[in-house]
Amino acid sequence: MSTEPPTGKATKEARRHFLAKMASAVFASLVAPGLAQGAPQPQPSAAPEEDVLLRLQKDLERALKNPNRRWGMVIDLRKCVGCHACTVSCMAENRLPPGVVYRPVSEEEVGTFPHVTYRFVPQPCMQCDDPPCVPACPYDATWKRKDGIVEIDYEKCVGCEKCIPPCPYNARHKDEGDYWTEGTPGMGRMPYEELPVYEWGKRVSREDEAGPIDKVRKCHFCLHRIERGLLPQCVVTCIGRATYFGDLEDPSSLVSELVRQPNATRLKEEAGTKPRVYYLV
Amino acid sequence: MEKLSRRNLLKLSGAGALLGSLGTALQEASAQGLETYEVQLPENTIYSSCLQCNTGCPIKVKLYEGVASKIDGNPLSPWTFHPHLPMNTDVTTLAKVDGALCPKGQAGIQTAYDPYRIRRVLKRAGPRGSGKWEEIPFHQAVKEIVEGGRLFAHLGDERVYPCLKELWALKDPEVMARMAQAVRAIWAEKDRQKKKVLVEKFKEDFKDHLHALIDPDHPDLGPKNNQVVFAWGRLKAGRSDFIRWFFSQSFGTVNLHGHTTVCQGSMYFIGKAMSEQPTFDASGKLSWSGGAKFYWQADLSKARFVVFVGANVFEGNYGPPLRVGWITERASKGELEYAIVDPRAQKAVKGASRWIAPKPGHDAAIAMGVIRLLMEWGKIDSKFLSAANKAAAKAIGESSWTNATWLVKLKDGKPERLLRASDLGLAKPKAKVGDKEVELDAPVVLHLGQPVAFNPNDEVQAVFGDLWVNTTLGGIPVKSALQLIKEEAFRHRVRTWAAFAGVEEEDIRFLAEKMAQYGKKAVVDVHRGASQHTNGFYNCFAWFTVNALLGNLDHQGGSVQPSTYDITGGRAGGPFPLSKLHPKPLTPFGISLIRHETKYEDTTLFEGFPAKRPWYPHASDVYQEILPSAAQGYPYPIKILFHYMGSPAYALPGGQEQIRAMLDPDKIPLIVAFDIVVGDTYLYADYIIPDLSYLERWEFQGSHPSIIWKVQPVRQPAIPPIPEEVEVFGQKMPICLESFLLALAEHLGLPGAGPRGFANGMPFTHPDHFYLKLAANLAFGEKADGSDALPEADERELAVFRQARRHLPPSVFEEQRWREAVGDESLFRRTVYLLNRGGRFQEFAKAYAQGDLVANRYARQVNLFLEKQALSLNPMTGKPYWPLPAYFLPYRDVLGNPLRDPGYGLTLLTHRSILQTKSRTVSNYWLLAIKPENEILVSALDAERLGLKEGQWVKVVSATNPKGEWDLGPFGRKPMVGKVKVVQGMRPGCVSFALGWGHWAYGASDLVINGQRLKGDPRRGQGLHANAAMRLDPYLKDMALTDVVGGSVVFYETRVNLLPV
Repeated sequence: MSTEPPTGKATKEARRHFLAKMASAVFASLVAPGLAQGAPQPQPSAAPEEDVLLRLQKDLERALKNPNRRWGMVIDLRKCVGCHACTVSCMAENRLPPGVVYRPVSEEEVGTFPHVTYRFVPQPCMQCDDPPCVPACPYDATWKRKDGIVEIDYEKCVGCEKCIPPCPYNARHKDEGDYWTEGTPGMGRMPYEELPVYEWGKRVSREDEAGPIDKVRKCHFCLHRIERGLLPQCVVTCIGRATYFGDLEDPSSLVSELVRQPNATRLKEEAGTKPRVYYLV
Repeated sequence: MEKLSRRNLLKLSGAGALLGSLGTALQEASAQGLETYEVQLPENTIYSSCLQCNTGCPIKVKLYEGVASKIDGNPLSPWTFHPHLPMNTDVTTLAKVDGALCPKGQAGIQTAYDPYRIRRVLKRAGPRGSGKWEEIPFHQAVKEIVEGGRLFAHLGDERVYPCLKELWALKDPEVMARMAQAVRAIWAEKDRQKKKVLVEKFKEDFKDHLHALIDPDHPDLGPKNNQVVFAWGRLKAGRSDFIRWFFSQSFGTVNLHGHTTVCQGSMYFIGKAMSEQPTFDASGKLSWSGGAKFYWQADLSKARFVVFVGANVFEGNYGPPLRVGWITERASKGELEYAIVDPRAQKAVKGASRWIAPKPGHDAAIAMGVIRLLMEWGKIDSKFLSAANKAAAKAIGESSWTNATWLVKLKDGKPERLLRASDLGLAKPKAKVGDKEVELDAPVVLHLGQPVAFNPNDEVQAVFGDLWVNTTLGGIPVKSALQLIKEEAFRHRVRTWAAFAGVEEEDIRFLAEKMAQYGKKAVVDVHRGASQHTNGFYNCFAWFTVNALLGNLDHQGGSVQPSTYDITGGRAGGPFPLSKLHPKPLTPFGISLIRHETKYEDTTLFEGFPAKRPWYPHASDVYQEILPSAAQGYPYPIKILFHYMGSPAYALPGGQEQIRAMLDPDKIPLIVAFDIVVGDTYLYADYIIPDLSYLERWEFQGSHPSIIWKVQPVRQPAIPPIPEEVEVFGQKMPICLESFLLALAEHLGLPGAGPRGFANGMPFTHPDHFYLKLAANLAFGEKADGSDALPEADERELAVFRQARRHLPPSVFEEQRWREAVGDESLFRRTVYLLNRGGRFQEFAKAYAQGDLVANRYARQVNLFLEKQALSLNPMTGKPYWPLPAYFLPYRDVLGNPLRDPGYGLTLLTHRSILQTKSRTVSNYWLLAIKPENEILVSALDAERLGLKEGQWVKVVSATNPKGEWDLGPFGRKPMVGKVKVVQGMRPGCVSFALGWGHWAYGASDLVINGQRLKGDPRRGQGLHANAAMRLDPYLKDMALTDVVGGSVVFYETRVNLLPV
C-alpha cells in the first residue's frame, strides 16, 4: 500500500497562492489568522523595551484615574497559539465549576494537505454595548455598566436562563453547583473547591446566597482585578501575548491604538450587538 | 551594545518606578470599599517553580488562608516575562505583576490537591499489579526494607526478600577506591590472557573483600552495593543531590539512572560527542574527555530564521511560555521567520513560512541536502570553520571552534581516526600537562598546503587549516573532516536527498536559501522528533552540523547553551561546597545495570559480538534498559529497585514489556517507589512511599538551552504537605522521599546523616539542613570573596518572608531551623532575599555581549569528526561507530538489520498536546474539561483510502502487538482503542496520538486499600494510549526499538494498522 503523499511540483507554488489568498481573505471574515505576516524587515528593531504586559498595566493604572473609562479588549488572532492558558487561568481565578467556561478558545484546522494552518479564536463575553442578554432578563439582574462591562447581580439572578439563548456568542452559562472532584474521594471538597469567589466586587463563598450557584455566570473582564490595578487573568497568562486590555476612551492606550488599525474587526458584527472585544486578523 | 544595555536598564527601572504607583491604585481601591484581594499581597505569595512539565517555569503561588488559590508566572524570570524584571524589583511591586503560564501551569493546583494522593506508606496486599494495598506505618516500611525477610508471608509468599543491610556490602571508601583502580587496569589491558591474569591478581589482592562482590570472577561488576538500583523519571538538581548523597556516597551503588533516553537521549549524546574535548596525558597522547550531556537550541530573541526540526515549539520543546512569546511577537513584526519540519502539522505551522512534512526518520536527508547547497553556494562560514584551535577562534572574534579542518587518516578509503604528528614525524607542539612540559602527539591540519601539528587548546598560537583536503601525506591518504562531510553531502543530488526524505527539492532549497540569507542569524532547533529514532544520533548530528557550518554557535540569534547559577558551592569554594560536606563518601564503581559509558570489549563479560544486550559506551540514563536488564539479570541480577517519580510502563514505547519485567519477584525481588499517587507503573511496586508534590518541596530547576540568561529557579514549599508527618532523627517532617532516605540512613547507620551528619560538624537530621545550604550557596554566588552575593533582606523583606510562610507547619518551616541550617545571619538574609524571589535570574541586558555574541557561552571545541566514536566498537556489530554526520535508514533492530512489517501500512507517531504531560497531569480536571480525550489523527487521504470516518473507533495493532492491547498482568487487559480524527495536517501514511490520556491507574481504576474499594474516576481513563503497539526489538524481544549509539528509545517508526472495532 502506498504511503507516499501525492505531492507534485506545483504544490509549493500552490501554498504560496494559498497563503496570499488567505491573507487577503482575512479582512472579510475571521479566517486564517497568522498567515502571511510579511517578509522579514531588513533590520529588526532593538531588543524589546518592555513586556507588553507592563505597558498594559500602566495603561490600566491611568484608566483607573479616568471616571469615564470604558473597558475594551483586543485579541490578536495572528498571535493566538491555541494553548488554552487563558481558559484555564480564568477557571482557576473565578473558581468555575464543570459546565461553566468564560473564555473558551475554538480550534479549527484550515486548508488542505499540505497547505494547512489553524484558526484559534478565544471568545470571552463581548461586553456588548447593545447586549441582547440584558433585556432578556425578567428580573433586572443584569445590566450594562458605565465602564462597559455587562454585570450580573447574583442576589437578583434566579437562574431562569432566559438570558442565555439571546447571546450570539454563547457567553453565558448556568452554575449548576457541580464540583470538580465530585464522585472521587475528594467529594467536591478539595481545598481549592472551597475558596471564595471574588466576582462583582464581593468576596463570597460559592455556596453563599449571594454566590454564583444556581445563577447565570459569564466573563467580567476580571473586574475584581482591574479595579485593583491588575490586568485580567486571560491577559497576563497569554503566552503568545495575543490579548490586550484597557480603556478605549483613552486615545493613548494600547487598545485604542490597536482598534484603530485597519485589520481590527469584531465577531459577528452583523448581530449588531456592538461588542467591546475586538479582533486583529 | 553597551548603549542598548543601558537603555534597556533605564526602561526596566522606569517600569519598576511606574509600577510602584500601582500601590496607590490598591489603596484607592480599598478606600472605595473594595474587599481585600488577599491573594495578590506579597505576604500571601510564595515564589517557586512549576513542574507540571520539565520547562519548570518560575511561578508565584498565591495563597488564601494557606490554600494555593492561583498560580501565575514569576515576572523576574525569562520564562514568563520578556524582558524579565530585574532582581532588585521590590517584593511589593513584584506581587502586582503576573507573568504568563501555560494551561498546565495554571492547573497545577489540581495536581497538588488531587483526591487520589496518598498520605501513608502503601504495601502491596496481593501479587504485584493486583491493585490491592494496605497502609502500613512509615517506620515499619523502613525496617522491612533495611532488614528484609519474609515480607509477604501473610500473603502466602514464603520468599525471603533481600535487604539493604546485606547489600551495603562494601563500606570502606579506601578499599572501594583501590578496587575501582584495579578494575580500570583490567579494562585497560587489551590482551585477553593478560586480562585474566589481572583478574586473578585482583582476587588475590582483595581476598578479604571478595564476599562483598557480585561475582569475584568478574570484579568489574563491582560490589553487591550495585545490586541496589535507584532510577527516576523527573528529577532536578537539589533532589538529585540528595539522592546521590545517600545512594551513591553513603551507600555506594553505581546504579543511579535517569530517564533521558525516553525524552531526547540521542540528541543529548550527540551533544556530548560533539563537545568532547581533546586532552593530552603526560606522554603527550591525545584522548577525549569532558563531553557534556547537553544540546543547543536557538536564541529566539535574536534569530532571524529558525528551522524547527521535530521540535513542537508551541506545545512542548521547553517550551511554551518561554519560547512562544518571542516567536509571536517577533514574527508579527517581521523580525523572525521560521519553518517547521514535522510529519504532523503541529500548531506552530500557523505563522510558519513553510511546513515540511518528511517521512519519519529521514530527517538527515534534508540536512544533507541543505549542507550540499550551502557548500555549493559558498555559504558556509569558511572563516569560522578554518579556525582549528582556541587561539584561532579568538583571533577572529569567535568563542568556539571546530575540528572541520583537522586531517583524518583513511583506511581502505574510510575514515579511521585523526591524523597525528607522529604519523608524519612532524614537529610536535609543546604544552604543559600538569606541571610538566610535554611534546604533544597533536592533530594535524594542512595550512596553505603544508601539514602542521598543533595544540587545539593553545590560546596564543592561532592555527588555521585548509578547508578542503584530499591528499596523501607520507604515504597516508588523508582528508579534512569537512571534505568528508562534503563528500557525504555530494553523494546525492538535492533532488535525491529530497526524495529520500519524501519532500520536495524546493523545500530543501527554501531552507538553504534562508540560511544563506541570514547566515549566523539562521539556526536549526532540533528536538525529539529527530532524536527518537533508531538513527536519532545521526539525524541530530546532521542538523547540528548545519549550525556549525553556519558558524552560529554562541552568536545572538544562533545556537546557544544553558547557563545556571551553581548550587553546590563548587565554583565559589563556599560557603557549603557539597563535594566536601560528606563525611565518608564512597566512590562507586563497576559496570552499571544499563552498561553505560563502558566499552563491552574491554570488560570481563566480553563474549564476542553481538553482546547479549546493547552496551552504551557513549550514552547514559538509558531508561528502557533498566527494567528489562534487571529482569534478565544482565549484566547481573539486582535485588532492590527504588524508583522515583517515573512511569516507564506508561511513558516508554513497548511499555507492556516494562510491566512484564516487574511482575516476578524472583527477577526483581523488591520494588520501592516514591510518588504522590498510585501511578500506572508503581501499581506494580511492593511499596509506595508517599511523596510531596512540586508545590510542597524543594528542588532547583536549572535552565534550558534556549535561555541565554544565567538562571536558577528555586522550588520551595508553598503549601502545607499532604502526606502525614513522621519523626526521623527526633525531628518532625512529612513523609516523602527525603524523610524516607533519612530514615533508611538512621536505621542502617549510614554515614552522612545524624546530629553531626555533615563533615563540617553541622547536623543533618532534617531535609532543610541540606536544602537551605544549597539555597545559601546560590544566594552567595560564584565568587569566593562574596562579591557575587545577593543583597541581604531588610526587616520588611524578612517580615514578608515570615508572613508568607505562616501557614506552613513547623515540620516544613521553622525559622530557627532554617537559620541554623545556614548558620550565618548575613547569609541567611541573602538566602531570604533569594527565596522571596524564587531564584536567581541574570539581568536581561547582560546576556548580550559584544561582537554579536551571547554572554554565557559554550566557548569550547565542537567536533564534526567524532574520534571517540571512531575508536570504540558497536557492541552488536563489532564495528567502529561511524564518526561523521550521515544519513542512515531508520527502522532497524539493535543489530542494524532493517525491519519489514509486511501488511502494516501506517507509521505510528506520537505528539505532545500542551494540555497534558505524559504520565502525570491527568488529575487536572480543568485540563480534561478542555480536552477530555485524545484521538488518533489520520490524514484525510488515508481515511478515504481506508474507509475510516471521523469519530470511528479503531484498534491499533502492530507486528509485535497484533492483538492491539495492553497486557497489564493481574490488572487485566486494556485494548488500544481510540477515536479517529480525520485531519489534513498529517503526512499521508502517518497516524499520531497525543500522549497523556488512556491511563489504567493514576486514579483511573478502582483500587483496594485496607480491604476497602477506592473507586477510580473514569475521566482519567479516557482516550487512547498506544505505546504498547510500538515495535519491540526482534533480537531483545523485551524492549522497544532503540538507537544503540545515542540510546534513544524509538517513538516514531512503528508500522501499524488501524482496525475498525
